[in-house]
Amino acid sequence: MPRGQVIVNQELCKECSLCVVACPHGVLAIGKAINKKGYHPVEAVAPEKCTGCTMCAVMCPDVVLTIKRKSPERK
Amino acid sequence: MAKILMKGNEALSEAAIRAGLKAFYGYPITPQNEVPAYMAEHLPLRGGVYLQAESEVSAINMVYGAAGAGVRVMTSSSSPGISLKQEGISYIAAAQLPCVIVNVVRNGPGLGGIQPAQGDYFQAVKGGGHGDYRLIVLAPGNVQEMADLTTLGFDLADKWRNPVMILSDGILGQMMEPVVFSEDGAVSEVDKPWATNGAAGRERNIVNSLDIIPDKAEKNMLRLLEKYDQIKAEEVRWQEHNTEDADVILVGYGTSARVARSAMELARKEGLKVGLFRPITLWPFPEQRLAELAKAGRSFLAVEMSAGQMIEDVRLAVNGVSPVHLSNRLGGMVPTPEDVLEKVREILEGRVS
Repeated sequence: MPRGQVIVNQELCKECSLCVVACPHGVLAIGKAINKKGYHPVEAVAPEKCTGCTMCAVMCPDVVLTIKRKSPERK
Repeated sequence: MAKILMKGNEALSEAAIRAGLKAFYGYPITPQNEVPAYMAEHLPLRGGVYLQAESEVSAINMVYGAAGAGVRVMTSSSSPGISLKQEGISYIAAAQLPCVIVNVVRNGPGLGGIQPAQGDYFQAVKGGGHGDYRLIVLAPGNVQEMADLTTLGFDLADKWRNPVMILSDGILGQMMEPVVFSEDGAVSEVDKPWATNGAAGRERNIVNSLDIIPDKAEKNMLRLLEKYDQIKAEEVRWQEHNTEDADVILVGYGTSARVARSAMELARKEGLKVGLFRPITLWPFPEQRLAELAKAGRSFLAVEMSAGQMIEDVRLAVNGVSPVHLSNRLGGMVPTPEDVLEKVREILEGRVS
């Protein structure tokens, strides 16, 4: 079971890729969907690798990402 | 005042409102959507009019009308939308009216894409619309300058009765950086005795760009050209770093200048003598200073996100005294400092013709 879950607010994403670089485990990649502005929002392509570290959410300048942590001891 | 974290498009919008913007007319297009969004939210509450026009053509003609009435007015768009506005821009320039036009450039030609580019350089600085006219073109290099050059843009537009274009790009519009707004809140308003704002008690003013009597039209053109010469003499702005001892001077504006600056820093760490020249006004272009910097044994490297547009102005300025090379990416791709540094090495090692 992954320890974290990334939730993407697609409409806020501008496809800058900062989170893709920030994630130490390669969880995220630019996706194929298109949002209302025409950008390709980021997707969790390897969700099983997420540790809930929130590096991606801290890096995101547009508050696109919400991270849910699953293991109680890491709250 | 404290630093605020803002998107470039938002910083530009806030600066415009603080500069006394009374009317904004626009039409949505990525990557400038945050400008009309900010205006829709803030401008009506702060004494201005926000209106989403039915098209870009309509928006620019609304700007024409408001500028004629003497109020501070602005429109913004991105590349394909700016193409649609060219007819109106030519009319506004001919009628000698002040306004600010923002172009958050995306890749083209055609519908292109929504990623950052600089392919509208020619359109911005060489005309774009029909006839012999010039825009004052300002090129911000960071979010703070998105704000500061917008403020300056309104002042220059009023001072010279000329449309001013802010030539930004999809990165500067979308990126977030700290920005500081001055606290004084002063708006530099100038007297506009030419405005069509009610003729009670005075002779009526006429705003017009029609000129069908050739000898009169020529005289008007010569007056316009005289104004452009004065702007060239007084309003050239640029920034330079490490140019004194440089063997290679990188020339770039906007996002390209940021990449070039990183390349310069990498090169200096390697002991390579590299400098940076960043035009802030693209028209008037800082040609005189570039001519002074040109000398035998020194090369210039234009860094662009276009197919080799600004390089033409660099070549005209340098006038054959130094070789001028190009490092660029296209289609919404952004050059890396490493790309630019590799080109610098090629130049220094004589691997380019």
